[in-house]
Amino acid sequence: MPTIEGSPGSSMHGVTGKEAVMAFSVASPVVHTDRTAKFDLPVDSEHKATVFKLFSFANPHMRTFHLSWISFFTTFVSTFAAAPLVPIIRDNLDLTKADIGNAGVASVSGSIFSRLTMGVVCDMLGPRYGCAFLIMLSAPTVFCMSFVSDASGYIAVRFMIGFSLATFVSCQYWMSTMFNSKIIGLVNGTAAGWGNMGGGATQLLMPVLFEIIKKAGATPFTAWRIAFFIPGWFNVIMGILVLTLGQDLPDGNLGALQKKGDVAKDKFGKVLWYAVTNYRTWIFVLLYGYSMGVELTIDNVIAEYFYDRFDLKLHLAGIIAACFGMANLLARPFGGFTSDYMATRFGMRGRLWNLWLLQTAGGLCCLCLGLVNSLPLAITFMMLFSIGAQAACGATFGIIPFISRRSLGIISGMTGAGGNFGSGLTQLIFFANASFSTEKGLTYMGIMIMLVTIPVSFVHFPQWGSMFFPPSQDIVKGSEEHYYESEWTEDEKQKGMHQASLKFAENSRSERGRRVASAPTPPENTPNHV
Amino acid sequence: MEVPSFLVVSLLFSCFVATTRGSYFSQLKNTLTVTATHPQGQVLKAGDDQITVTWGFNQSYPSGTDSDYKTVKVKLCYAPVSQKDRKWRKTEDHLKKDRTCQHKIVARPYAASNNTVTYTIKKDVPTGVYFVRVYAFDAQDVEVAYGQTTDAHKTTNLFEIQAITGRHKSLDIASVCFSAFSVVSLAGFFYMEKRKGKASK
Repeated sequence: MPTIEGSPGSSMHGVTGKEAVMAFSVASPVVHTDRTAKFDLPVDSEHKATVFKLFSFANPHMRTFHLSWISFFTTFVSTFAAAPLVPIIRDNLDLTKADIGNAGVASVSGSIFSRLTMGVVCDMLGPRYGCAFLIMLSAPTVFCMSFVSDASGYIAVRFMIGFSLATFVSCQYWMSTMFNSKIIGLVNGTAAGWGNMGGGATQLLMPVLFEIIKKAGATPFTAWRIAFFIPGWFNVIMGILVLTLGQDLPDGNLGALQKKGDVAKDKFGKVLWYAVTNYRTWIFVLLYGYSMGVELTIDNVIAEYFYDRFDLKLHLAGIIAACFGMANLLARPFGGFTSDYMATRFGMRGRLWNLWLLQTAGGLCCLCLGLVNSLPLAITFMMLFSIGAQAACGATFGIIPFISRRSLGIISGMTGAGGNFGSGLTQLIFFANASFSTEKGLTYMGIMIMLVTIPVSFVHFPQWGSMFFPPSQDIVKGSEEHYYESEWTEDEKQKGMHQASLKFAENSRSERGRRVASAPTPPENTPNHV
Repeated sequence: MEVPSFLVVSLLFSCFVATTRGSYFSQLKNTLTVTATHPQGQVLKAGDDQITVTWGFNQSYPSGTDSDYKTVKVKLCYAPVSQKDRKWRKTEDHLKKDRTCQHKIVARPYAASNNTVTYTIKKDVPTGVYFVRVYAFDAQDVEVAYGQTTDAHKTTNLFEIQAITGRHKSLDIASVCFSAFSVVSLAGFFYMEKRKGKASK
């Protein structure tokens, strides 16, 4: 081609009408397809898939996707399995309202610590071991429900089961190693959203299991304990599948690649330092506490809210509660999709605005949910709230992979932990207090969501800008390479440890949006096509 | 058209009367005497111990007061100490919303005297402090009267029930076995992969 690729007017996108349009595939000339790699799906220079084929199980990319989201789904089922059975459990164990509330807080608090740790584990040992270790070691905690005989045992076991929610981090991390950044929003959103659906599915599954076991002859106080064996077995089965069928990276497993020298081993202290000193990390930790955090809170309180306020029967309240969680099937991927779509037109700025809009809209609907007195209106606002909050979760993880390449694991972990921390805090302030009614709590939570989302306007990338400010005009400081290289010292660069970051920087140029065509070429980097 | 309008008005009136009559506990008459006997001086065990309940019309009320009592339901009810901090057992005056008496002992046609039932405490009764209450219903299945073993403040004559744990040895053993399987197979996989890694070096 006589014209330089990427210069204005040279894009052939859409000319033949045969090009794929949306975020399901990457056809942009900016992402160079590596045609030498032998994979079932087209891949980029890091061997990450550039196409997301939902119904394929091709190794390694799509198989990883399915192993990942199903493992995460399983842990959600286990963590919230007690919630729909609380009316039986509270009679068996003689629980008070405070005990039930504390167990709810405990169920989400455990994973604050485990999500932080999981980030490190993924960076050091790889997501496959991280995921498998966690779900297989938390299976005994689920089986422990058969031993519980009082409130303190119940709270302790729910706390321990809650540790398994850290599979969220391994899930997102694993997706980021397997899929190109242009479609990462959609992929991460779908994987996490389908995983989160577990919180809704369990509200339907556990009562059904309980009924079946009761019909088979068990007394209620034994039947609920037997029902817990099923989530426990899911944990074990998924752990085995992950170990036997999964791999860490498109080219193989982390341990093997590190031995071959293909992947550099990194130092924990350094990885942590670059995560913690990046202010963007903390803004997203806060934000995620009020998108994912409120979703977890609602998973714990909404069935009881509908049961009490609107005098519904328990199974009907459970069905409504399940609808909230099941909206994740489409809502979270939708958030990732809109993030990717806004990025193709407006780059990173589009992603940031998208997040702000979705999360603020969710907060507004939560506020309204607490104010309305009629059941149809309440269900409507609950569903709109669920879409807003869950899409915001998807949109958040469309941005996280760009904050850092070196410390992606820890930042994912910290953000995930922030989600749980937000949930524990919110349940403590608004829903364990006898002085507020639950509807007041929902209204205040909605106001808090809207306030907490404002800081996203302070997130600024020198190479891409922010919600209100343009990118840096400086040729060096305004380049993706400069941003990602700044995480490595000169010594480390001498050893070539930053090569993966450079590759990532090149692939991330798509975050300039439509301006890619006019991006100045950084002087030290020779473009690949020359 | 006077007849239809009279019918409509009386229909509405009877509906209104039917929904309000007996719907509120404070409107019920305490015309039944109820006694419950059970092993004294100990906590009763669910699934094992028995309570014998006897009830009948309190003859000190004018005869004919019980003319509309058609059926009775005998129920196990929570004492105030077992309702504390447990909103799902709350006492409400409107009987449709009342959650004080959640465990049915027996339902019988009404008879003025000679009513007894021996009840083995069911296995799904939770740990708590209880009393027994008998509701009398009219032909429209609306509560019209009651009697209970305790006083108006629900402080006297209460008895304690200890629930079953719901735990079983077989469940405990199964739980330990599956947990061990999970941990051992994880360790096994890990060890085998490390060995394969060393062998291929």
